[in-house]
Amino acid sequence: MGKNSLKLETHAFDELLEKLDGLEANLIPIVEDALSQAAETITEDTKEAMAKGNLPAKGEFSHGDTEKSINRDTAVKWNGMQAEVNVGFDFEKPGAGGYLITGTPRMKPNSKLKKIYKSKRYMKQIEQDMTDIFHDAIEDYMGG
Amino acid sequence: MEDELIDILMTFGFPVCRQGSISKNEDYPESFFTFWNNDSVDHAHYDNAERGTEWDFDVNFYSVDPEKTYSVLADARQRLKHRGWIISGKGYDVASDEVTHTGRGMNVFYLQM
Repeated sequence: MGKNSLKLETHAFDELLEKLDGLEANLIPIVEDALSQAAETITEDTKEAMAKGNLPAKGEFSHGDTEKSINRDTAVKWNGMQAEVNVGFDFEKPGAGGYLITGTPRMKPNSKLKKIYKSKRYMKQIEQDMTDIFHDAIEDYMGG
Repeated sequence: MEDELIDILMTFGFPVCRQGSISKNEDYPESFFTFWNNDSVDHAHYDNAERGTEWDFDVNFYSVDPEKTYSVLADARQRLKHRGWIISGKGYDVASDEVTHTGRGMNVFYLQM
């Protein structure tokens, strides 16, 4: 399993991006701002979910490897017209915490990580935050 | 919908339990299912009332037989789909507490109207 990448779902934002394009906005910094802020939110929420109090046995058996495997590089990378940023656990590092999200037969899933990586509601809020950034940019370009 | 999910999984003849419910002192069964309810979101709202519920579960299968880990989960996927459950993909590896067992899981959805 590779890195978890947050990819900008351009389909969800096509209409807003077209409006900005029509206003002759420079889309790149706007897209990068929206994606970076989303990635920072997810990274901070992931770090909070990994606080000792939220781990099995309150982190008594934690060596910190899983926390170290959280991807902290929120720089946006472009692949043609597709922008993406890495969030979540880097599964190439030892101790990466996929099992904390799925749980094991002896260990319940970490509910905070589940909320971040498996919940539609959480991602809908992230998408709403990105939409707000695009709306703000549209208002700025329209002189609002 | 949890009861229906459990009923369907039990038709395979293996134990079914909630993820995380096997205690430290308890041996793993040779082969077994686990499940976890991730969420149950309102599908839509009209006139201030919810219309339908989207159920979201994880279903995992663990076994001492690696071939069974794949084949039973694949069969469970088909059986659930025939009963109206929505499953994308063919599953993923899940961690096992015991070196004797391998596990595979999948994410399953049901739209209850």
